[in-house]
Amino acid sequence: MPSEPAGTTGARRILPIAAVLAVGVLALAGCTSGDAEPTTDASRTTLVYASGDAEPTCLDPHVGGNYPQALAATQFLESLVSRDEDGEIIPWLATGWEVSEDGLTWDLTLRDDVAFTDGTPFDAEAVKANIEHLQDPATGSSTGYLAAAKITEVEVVDDAHARFHLSAPDSALLESLSQPWLAIESPVGLSRGTDENCLAPIGTGPFAVQSWTPQDRIVFTRNDDYSSPPADAGHEGPAYLETIEWRFIPDPATRYAALEAGQVDVIDNAQPDAISRAGEASGIVELDAPRPGASNRIEFNGSKAPFDDERVREAFVRAVDPDAGIQALFFDTAERSYSPLSSVEPTSVGDADLFTVDPDEADALLDEAGWTDRDDDGVRTKGGVRLTAVFPISTNQSTAAEQSLFEQFAASAGEVGFDVQLQPLDLSSWYGALAAHEYDLVSAPYTKVGPDVLRIVYHSDSMTPAPSGYFANLAQVDDPEIDALLDEASASQDADARAAAYADVQERLLETYRLLPLYDQQNHFLLTADLEGVRAMPTVSTPTFLDARFTS
Amino acid sequence: MLWAVATIVFVGIRLVPGDPALAILGGPGSQASAEALAAVRAEYGLDQPVLVQYGAFLGRLVTGDFGESYVLRRPVADVIGAQIGATLALAAASLVVAWAIAIGLALVSTGRSRWARSIGGGIETVAAALPQFWLASILVIVFATGLGWLPAVADGTPAGVVLPVLTLAIPVAGFLAQIMRESMLDALAAPFSLAARSRGESETGLRLRHALRHAAVPGVELSAWAFGYLVSGAVVVETMFAMPGLGRTLLQAVTLRDVPLVTAVVLVVALAYLVVTFLADVAATLIDPRRRDAETGDRPAPTPRAEVAA
Repeated sequence: MPSEPAGTTGARRILPIAAVLAVGVLALAGCTSGDAEPTTDASRTTLVYASGDAEPTCLDPHVGGNYPQALAATQFLESLVSRDEDGEIIPWLATGWEVSEDGLTWDLTLRDDVAFTDGTPFDAEAVKANIEHLQDPATGSSTGYLAAAKITEVEVVDDAHARFHLSAPDSALLESLSQPWLAIESPVGLSRGTDENCLAPIGTGPFAVQSWTPQDRIVFTRNDDYSSPPADAGHEGPAYLETIEWRFIPDPATRYAALEAGQVDVIDNAQPDAISRAGEASGIVELDAPRPGASNRIEFNGSKAPFDDERVREAFVRAVDPDAGIQALFFDTAERSYSPLSSVEPTSVGDADLFTVDPDEADALLDEAGWTDRDDDGVRTKGGVRLTAVFPISTNQSTAAEQSLFEQFAASAGEVGFDVQLQPLDLSSWYGALAAHEYDLVSAPYTKVGPDVLRIVYHSDSMTPAPSGYFANLAQVDDPEIDALLDEASASQDADARAAAYADVQERLLETYRLLPLYDQQNHFLLTADLEGVRAMPTVSTPTFLDARFTS
Repeated sequence: MLWAVATIVFVGIRLVPGDPALAILGGPGSQASAEALAAVRAEYGLDQPVLVQYGAFLGRLVTGDFGESYVLRRPVADVIGAQIGATLALAAASLVVAWAIAIGLALVSTGRSRWARSIGGGIETVAAALPQFWLASILVIVFATGLGWLPAVADGTPAGVVLPVLTLAIPVAGFLAQIMRESMLDALAAPFSLAARSRGESETGLRLRHALRHAAVPGVELSAWAFGYLVSGAVVVETMFAMPGLGRTLLQAVTLRDVPLVTAVVLVVALAYLVVTFLADVAATLIDPRRRDAETGDRPAPTPRAEVAA
């Protein structure tokens, strides 16, 4: 074949050039040896992870309970159950479970051969101590506390059997328990008190916290006695890696540069431009792991004008064009959602037909709703009141691309006569604005395993402000039919009936334009291509490095 | 002075709407329970009237007690103690590098041929105007991802601090060089320069031994300002290069409304600025012979500025 010799000649010509280049690169590397992380072959046993999330202020995810804590905790803590890619609950530290007829008692069978990294055995006493720790106000738990709200008591039947007593049936109990915010820690570790436990919580995970230097890094070292992988893990026994260095690099451009330069191996919170570039550049691969729970969506404050009127809500939906914005600003890295739930939830229901873009229809709807006059700025008015929509935006939670998307929405909505007032706020000011009801539009993420997030976000119980002034039902949905469906789903023991009830809830929310779904909660990781075995937990989509190793 | 700073910080942080208790417990995807909030408020005294909080706050400051960080749950003094060294070292290293660059530029370009002057002046002006954020990005693109010579983020090794130091030093060097060149021109045209030349001093020797000393004085005076600039720049640089330090601590503390920590960081920086201003005055006096007998008003008459041929 004529092509073969030609190819060989070509290769011969290229080789010397490549050799010269390689020598040059080596020489350069030699000049600065010692400044890079160890980067040698298959003997690489240290993984450097760079997080763009805020550094946790406490490594115990029971305390508070946010996503940065979940990311870190996934490396060293484990839960009673996990979830597989189909959304089914699977065994982890608990091997089996049985619920009573009335749904008020759950019997969990536990692994009897697992110990925490401090040597304390994992048993029913440990489970009891953890739930009590979560429910103790002094712990300051919020996410785990809410998820465990219906547990009245954990009864220790024997070492390997724990009985959960509930105040009301809770079909979401196992989904709640699968989350890192309810992970099981060594009771001896917990008894050290919050301040000490925060620095290095003790779990049963594949790694253990070796040290934490605030504002610098957390170092995790391998748990050599590891024996409790979740049922869907890639292998039995200890992790392949010996060490994980967990760094915090808040600037997205620097984070990506560090990955490109080989200084770090995995980054999270990858930005759309970096994700699209990484796809083309060899050597960097993407792990897209949308978070469970609610989708990213704009919610309308339905408790006051103007969005207490369904026509005005629909007008806003018709006026703005999320697809165009997503394409331009997210470089096609985000997929449009039409559901209140994340696409990872098998029970999610969406309806694209409800969200067509039609500014003329928007105009007609606003006319019909009585917003017929326009002032000098072109803003519609009704009885002298301007059609104002105050939109506080959390700059901690909304990415740059998302903030730009909202700016586009403000402009499009302005054309049909809305005056959308964007207010970029830091986290505590944003909470403050919501608690004070100073919002008409809001975009608030909510991560939870399973469709039960609908109850937290749209049940009228969540509308009543807590003494803190905060409430999860930001759309102020007060709909007896939705409440009834959510209560039914929560109490149901039947998976199909439960799914049907959640489907009805979602349809009703969408049809009454309570929200404008945008896309899943974006959760993109970029990794060096020579790293294999990294996957996101199908629970809250945090990456696990149990099966990870470098290939040469 | 420090009391004023403390009060301004305290009031400023209260004026922004929002509840620190929610921020302490809050975070993406978490909703605080009423019980948890109440516990947090009681723990940090947030349920007290503002004036009571202010009084308690001042009282503690006077006794040197900065209190405990809301967010980090550690004594503020410990937090600052752990971070201040890194920032001061960064600022000091940057100042030294800035001086080295500025002296180099001034020696090389002042009073030389027109093209050398133009290039030197151009570099200074551009350098002085560079925003740190942009400069840091360019340095990373060129030296880390492009050439691969230096780490993109600080990694605890000496090589890791090169880019952060350059990011801070280059704009300051631009300012210093501009100032120095002006006074160096004055010095080269001054009678003592003529005298030195007539003694057979070489042009290089003249610059190094006489003119530089003269030219350094306004630069040294400016160093206190430069130090302030470097410390504020540390907020950007520490964040971009993921370095530990006071700047990053401050940014996080402001975001999370961590009143005790913000207050203490601002106070410490204000104090450091006062100290550096004092030191710069002392240094300028030591370098400048005229300063030592400044009271007598024995200053040489201002020299008309003139370019001196090389």
